[in-house]
Amino acid sequence: MKQKLTFAIAAVAFVFSGLPAWATVEIGKAVPNITTTDTNGNPFNLADHKGKVVVLEWTNHQCPFVIKHYETNNMQNAQKTAREHGVEWVSIVSSAPGRQGHLSAEEANAIATKSGATISAKILDETGEIGKAFGAQTTPHMYVIDTNGHLAYAGAIDDNSSPNPKTVEGATNYVLAAINDLKAGNAVQTAQTKPYGCSVKY
Amino acid sequence: MLLAVNTHAFAQDENEQLVKIRVLPGKGQISAGEEIWIGIEQSITPQWHTYWQNPGDSGTAPRHDWTLPKGFEIGTIQWPTPKKIPYGPLLNYGYEDRVILLQKLKAPETLPASPLTLSVDVELLVCKEECIPEYGTYEITLNGADAGLEDNTAYIEAAKKKLPQKANWKASFSEDEKDLILTFSNAPAETFSQAVLESAEFMPIDWGIVSNPAQAELMLEKGEITLKQKKGDRNLDEIKNINGLLVFETEDAQRQSYHFTAQPHTSSIMTQSTVEGEIETSFIQAIILAILGGLILNLMPCVFPVLSIKALSLVKNADKEPKHVRMSGLAYTAGVILSFLAIAGLLVAFKTAGAQIGWGFQLQNPMVVGILAYLLFIIGLNLAGMFEFANPFANTGQKLTQTEGHKGSFFTGVLATLVATPCTAPFMATALGYALTQPALQSMLVFAALGLGLALPYLLLCYVPALRSKMPKPGAWMETFKQFLAFPMFGATVWLIWVLSEQAGPSGVLAVLTGITLIAFALWLLTKRSEKSASNRGLIALSILCFIIAIFALPNRSIPQTQTDTATAENTFGEVFTQEKLDTLLAETSNPIFVEMTAAWCITCKVNHATSINIDSTKQVFAENNVTYLIGDWTNQNPEITKFLDRYGRKGVPIYVFYGAKDENGKRPEGEVLAQMLTPQIVKDAILK
Repeated sequence: MKQKLTFAIAAVAFVFSGLPAWATVEIGKAVPNITTTDTNGNPFNLADHKGKVVVLEWTNHQCPFVIKHYETNNMQNAQKTAREHGVEWVSIVSSAPGRQGHLSAEEANAIATKSGATISAKILDETGEIGKAFGAQTTPHMYVIDTNGHLAYAGAIDDNSSPNPKTVEGATNYVLAAINDLKAGNAVQTAQTKPYGCSVKY
Repeated sequence: MLLAVNTHAFAQDENEQLVKIRVLPGKGQISAGEEIWIGIEQSITPQWHTYWQNPGDSGTAPRHDWTLPKGFEIGTIQWPTPKKIPYGPLLNYGYEDRVILLQKLKAPETLPASPLTLSVDVELLVCKEECIPEYGTYEITLNGADAGLEDNTAYIEAAKKKLPQKANWKASFSEDEKDLILTFSNAPAETFSQAVLESAEFMPIDWGIVSNPAQAELMLEKGEITLKQKKGDRNLDEIKNINGLLVFETEDAQRQSYHFTAQPHTSSIMTQSTVEGEIETSFIQAIILAILGGLILNLMPCVFPVLSIKALSLVKNADKEPKHVRMSGLAYTAGVILSFLAIAGLLVAFKTAGAQIGWGFQLQNPMVVGILAYLLFIIGLNLAGMFEFANPFANTGQKLTQTEGHKGSFFTGVLATLVATPCTAPFMATALGYALTQPALQSMLVFAALGLGLALPYLLLCYVPALRSKMPKPGAWMETFKQFLAFPMFGATVWLIWVLSEQAGPSGVLAVLTGITLIAFALWLLTKRSEKSASNRGLIALSILCFIIAIFALPNRSIPQTQTDTATAENTFGEVFTQEKLDTLLAETSNPIFVEMTAAWCITCKVNHATSINIDSTKQVFAENNVTYLIGDWTNQNPEITKFLDRYGRKGVPIYVFYGAKDENGKRPEGEVLAQMLTPQIVKDAILK
């Protein structure tokens, strides 16, 4: 009971604190626009990328699930394949200052370079505004946006929710499958899955 | 004493693990074929948590990967009721401090004499602000040297108490613009006071159906509990059923948790209330019940005469070739089963179109009732000897129902089914209730089974010569018996005309009686045909005209009225049922309530009413116990009554539900469904219990 009351107060406090609102995006619907500056200081406007398929990857370099996919090169390989198909790949860090995974732009770039990530842009979302507008819950949490700016896929990177790096092999990568479907001009077969991973550190 | 050994802990020192694991077999010894519980205990560092089977917005459920000796089987993890663990705008379902996950271990039928080693790889995610995966392999030995000493029964029993109970409720789900709506229609409403409802939480086992951090809103209304919670990411149209827990605190602060499965709201629910208590009907059970119900239908007053005619023809043809007899049995069976399938098809089609109908629905149309009355009247005239069945168009004089004509057998089957529809035999209600909530194919199969049951006795007679030889020898008595059978037919005609009078009033009665006269005239005309007369054509044309007028004279829709007063007109006591009245009585009075659902065309209902309810001793019991008696009449379509039937898993009348008096705390026991075939004793026992 007590715990519930605490939560209720927290919930009320959250609603009235003027933080960006929690939203979810629907499959087949237009996604919210993102206008910000990336870690290289370049302006980023999602709307400018219409005509291209865009992947959004929520990430936190200290989360074991993210580590699972980067240590095994699974994420980098997916990025490479996607980029070869002309897909834009944007990594987003929504960790709040002082929370796990929070980075400066320099740190973020260093991590990306070191891991061998081949991404189009990396975005720091300290306020959580972008994450909350998309309803990002986990790291990783993946979104695939089609050439019309509509959401084509949302959910997990693959079908094995274990944190164990051994489970990468043999797993089905939903993001690559969605990209393949889009490239073939088909509807995305698995358009929505349960995201798994660490919670986004808002 | 504990035999669990952490053999290696995957790049982590065991002492540094945030979750300490112990593997707890219920006992150290297992014998061949035995099942024992094994618990895996997690002792979690304070402020950290692990996850439930649905981890919520993030995280992942633990995994147990067992390596077992040959032939052993391990069951799925039984998950204790979790806690809601909020994190910022997200929410997780998980465990803090300590939890035991149970699994059932089953030994094979033969066991070696040596000790048995089992090992389990445990993988789990433990989180606070950050998350850490932990891995370990643990070994236990069963039937070892000290096996007799190991006893973890207390741990296992304590863990079992934390598992959710299975809810025998009817749960359904629907949605509005922003919320998922769960409805529990026969939850024990009396245990849900306002305080209890306010403490209630919904824990979805399936992901994405609700927004996890949103609060559930619960309401108790008309004996139903509705739960609303903001929808999640998934499209509910694609979800077949919803599994979840309803968790609440009782007034003495006990945390209770019920596991339920909710079906989409449109199709109603499988859980059946029966006299024996809550059972879930399986497909096989439904098929068996349907065959039994069909068999018993043979003895019902509506079917028996038709069947007798058939049996008589068999007696007459006792010396016929066995092959012929068997063919006629098959033809009859085909007639019955196809008719049942036709009715089922219509029923399913109407249901799909959203109509609130049930078994016996065809008798809710006065035109069908009228045609049935004609049919029974014609058979009566035939039995009485006024005419012989002949094929007026072929002019061959082949006697359809009396001779070996397979066509005749087929149509007798159709007829038997038609006249059987007003009857509900025991077992049928459960089978039909099940059938109509199933996909079309299963539904049709149950109906076919019902037909098979009805056809079975005659089919057996045809196929087993030994049975036929037990039948009486043909003789003059047959003609007499046949003539006698005309009278039950006329009786049935009278009853159908009365049903029609309830549906269509005096003008309907005028129409059907005119029709009957025309039909008698037409039949008489046909008997006046002569082999070579040129006037035959005219006679036939005139008689056909009579038939057509007779049929089109029938009213084809009921006089609009909410319920006919078949209930109150013939009874000196009882009030007309409405859901609103029942709800008011349930809520605002403390007296017991007896609800009867009946229909003018339902013979079972009429018999029950006459023998067990509308009698002095029952009236006295009602009066002495202040029983409020409500009668609902389903003679015409009445969606409110169909809904009431639905709530109890029924698709037809009769149903008798008794709601006991409120106890001293103002709580009313759940409605008790009485048997389909009543005796005064059953009614009395229910009330005096």
